Amino acid sequence: MTQSSINDFTGYSPTWCPGCGDWGILTALKQALTQLNLDPSQVVFVFGIGCSGNMNDFLNGYAIHSLHGRAIPNAIGVKLANHKLPVIVIAGDGDCYGEGGNHLIHAARGNHDITVIVHDNRVYGLTTGQVAPTAQKGFKSKSTPSGIIEVSVNPLSTVLTNGATFVGQGFSGYMVDLVLLIKEAINHKGFSLVNILQPCVTFNKINTYQYYLQRVYKLDEVYEQSNFQLALEKSLEINQEKFPLGVIYKEDRPTFNDSLNQLKEKTLLEKDRFKNFELLENEFI
Amino acid sequence: MIDFTWKIAGEAGFGIMTSGLSFSKIASRSGYYIFDSIEYPSLIRGGHNAYQVRVTDKKLSCQKEMIDVLVCLNKDTYEKNKQFLTENSFVIYDKEDFEIKENFKKIALPIKKVINDFKASILMRNTLTIGASLALLGGEIEVFLKLIGEEFAKKGEQVVDFNQKTALAGYNYVKDNYSDKIVNWLDKKSAKEKLVLTGNDSFSLASIVADCRLYCAYPMTPSSSVLATLASWQEKTGMIVRHPEDEISVINTAIGASFAGIRAAVGTSGGGFSLMVESISLAGITETPLVIFLGQRPGPATGMPTWTEQGDLLFAIHAGHGEFPKIVLAPGDVEEMFELTLKAYNLADIYQTPVIIISDMYLSESHQSIEKELIDKLISDYQIDRGKLINNLKTKVENSNLKIKSFLRYQISNDGISPRLIPGVKGYYYQANSYEHLEDGHTTEESLPRKQQVEKRNRKITTYLSKDFQLPKFYGDENAELVFVSWGSNKGIILEVQKKLREKNIKTGFWHFSYLYPLDKKKIVSIFKKDKKYILLENNSWGQFGKLLAAETGIVINDKILKYDGRQFMPEEILIKLI
Repeated sequence: MTQSSINDFTGYSPTWCPGCGDWGILTALKQALTQLNLDPSQVVFVFGIGCSGNMNDFLNGYAIHSLHGRAIPNAIGVKLANHKLPVIVIAGDGDCYGEGGNHLIHAARGNHDITVIVHDNRVYGLTTGQVAPTAQKGFKSKSTPSGIIEVSVNPLSTVLTNGATFVGQGFSGYMVDLVLLIKEAINHKGFSLVNILQPCVTFNKINTYQYYLQRVYKLDEVYEQSNFQLALEKSLEINQEKFPLGVIYKEDRPTFNDSLNQLKEKTLLEKDRFKNFELLENEFI
Repeated sequence: MIDFTWKIAGEAGFGIMTSGLSFSKIASRSGYYIFDSIEYPSLIRGGHNAYQVRVTDKKLSCQKEMIDVLVCLNKDTYEKNKQFLTENSFVIYDKEDFEIKENFKKIALPIKKVINDFKASILMRNTLTIGASLALLGGEIEVFLKLIGEEFAKKGEQVVDFNQKTALAGYNYVKDNYSDKIVNWLDKKSAKEKLVLTGNDSFSLASIVADCRLYCAYPMTPSSSVLATLASWQEKTGMIVRHPEDEISVINTAIGASFAGIRAAVGTSGGGFSLMVESISLAGITETPLVIFLGQRPGPATGMPTWTEQGDLLFAIHAGHGEFPKIVLAPGDVEEMFELTLKAYNLADIYQTPVIIISDMYLSESHQSIEKELIDKLISDYQIDRGKLINNLKTKVENSNLKIKSFLRYQISNDGISPRLIPGVKGYYYQANSYEHLEDGHTTEESLPRKQQVEKRNRKITTYLSKDFQLPKFYGDENAELVFVSWGSNKGIILEVQKKLREKNIKTGFWHFSYLYPLDKKKIVSIFKKDKKYILLENNSWGQFGKLLAAETGIVINDKILKYDGRQFMPEEILIKLI
């Protein structure tokens, strides 16, 4: 097969608002996949529900367009059945940090070899502007007219402290860096979270491009990606409204599938059928 | 004719469940049929645990109420169970614990003394009393000694020897002191080899035969032993067993794996099933095959976790928002569990939709003996049918310049079923979409394709009814005026009731439903006759199958026998209502 091109991945024209950060994320993702020499038949996407999940029709590939919050367990199932396929979750902040928050924590613990790309715009776009779990305290929205009482969830420190082996943060305004980050996350063997800061131009008038441009900064070359304590400190900088970009943390640890003897030789899908039923029946005599 | 019930009971946490199963296996290996059931509270320590084994020399299908041999590990056991004893019943007990004033056949065994003399653990009381029981029943102690050898082999020779010594102590004590009381109820005789299986065991074994490669579950009584059994086999079978964070993750992991091309199943009880419901709907619209094992227990909410009920039938049938096909099967015993489990995996693949196997605590956790050759026959007759799955993993794209194409995963078809391609096949892609979709899986909100997809999914029901739906099985006398209608685990109990009535020259019929949903109105209406008296029998308080039958077929059964105290029916209590 000839090398794939960005066009192979290009599906329907997006229905996102002009200026939405999702555009940048889609373009970066397609570039990353093409640069990794993957074509749409060699990758599985699992989309959540939200503006981010609507990417299902704009991006070609084998895919599940899942329920709100449930993309991660679907992805784990795909990977268990066929660990040769790269499995990428596309989810939103409400999707992944609210409705499906429990799955995120446990997928990180298990070091399931999936890449979770979260569109973090700190608001619910598709349902027209309610507060998201990543919204800043006090954020006024349709569901919190007097301002949200809760403090924001911290996705980076949450997955870090629960065993994630790759934690990255990108900004939808910095395309070149985003392509590199997504590629590295897909290449990582183990659970990877890429939290992508993106403005919602329609419903979030606080966390705008200007807001992020003034507060994001790139981790430099001397930053020690394998230093857990340092990564934890970086993950807490959001409390001072500072946003480090790049690979915050990276470690090698056997993946969930690596720890299963059943998968040592072949994928679950390719294995021969077990037929020694007598062996099992004997336990009941 | 041999037909007796042996029961051991005592405080929870002292190995009663394990020793009860040993007794069942001894009886089975000695050539008899068994049916056992357990009682236990939702506790780890304390409370009353009981294991009751009915033994016969002919095939049997349920418990009987009265106890013939009661092994009391404490006084409480005696007090709770003496109402089920007759003057011919034996009671094995320890005089040091309590005295028995009533006129039963007393076998006083110095349990405490032997355990103290042997410096043995309190768990050894079970071994001692089984040894004593075997002597009393005229069984062969060698059968038990061999079983001990197998069960403790991993713990070493010393443990085996010690257990065997304790078993012999009980055996010899009865031989030496109660030789006048010994009966010949457990004489070893040659018989066909049998398996001692619970409904859960049967589901587990059949799942392996059906080539299920992922089982995913969160522990919940009474389905938990499926998880434990399949997990204990995974290194042998190559299956993956996942116990994730919650039942939502359980079902979505299975849906992901099934999408990727393998057979996958989940297991749970009512509470966990409730959490899965939204995702059942996901499997419905994405047309993903899935087998769901639902072991019912009394609800609502936490209900009575370790007891039995058939209270989730209507819930199972209606589980999931929106309209999509779903198949619900309810086995009546371990043999049907095996058969229907094998079938369920095929149906899930053929119709690309969720198939629910509905069990209950009584079927899930009671052991029944079944001839091994019956199971072996079911295994050798089984053909895996994966329906319209396209499994050309090894096919290469012929033209290297071939443009990658979208695959028509939801192609409109006459039977409602579309071809399903295993993801990863080169040159194609498609999405399994939770939104309404076009034939290639892309989202749509247009009127015509929506209508077409709804109708396509609905046609699967029509196809199922014409190709795979099975009418209920009929048992008894076709001319009988009195006809029972029931489903699931009541089967064996009703068969016993019919037997007892036959002895009194009362003829009855019995329609046993196991293909519960969807129901074929035309076929079912034709088997119900105007001149008969139908009695609906269900282990719930609403008569849920009766409601379903009325809704689907218009047949209304007014006479109902319902039980909803957390216990299965006993044949005797049904007979009292009838005679």
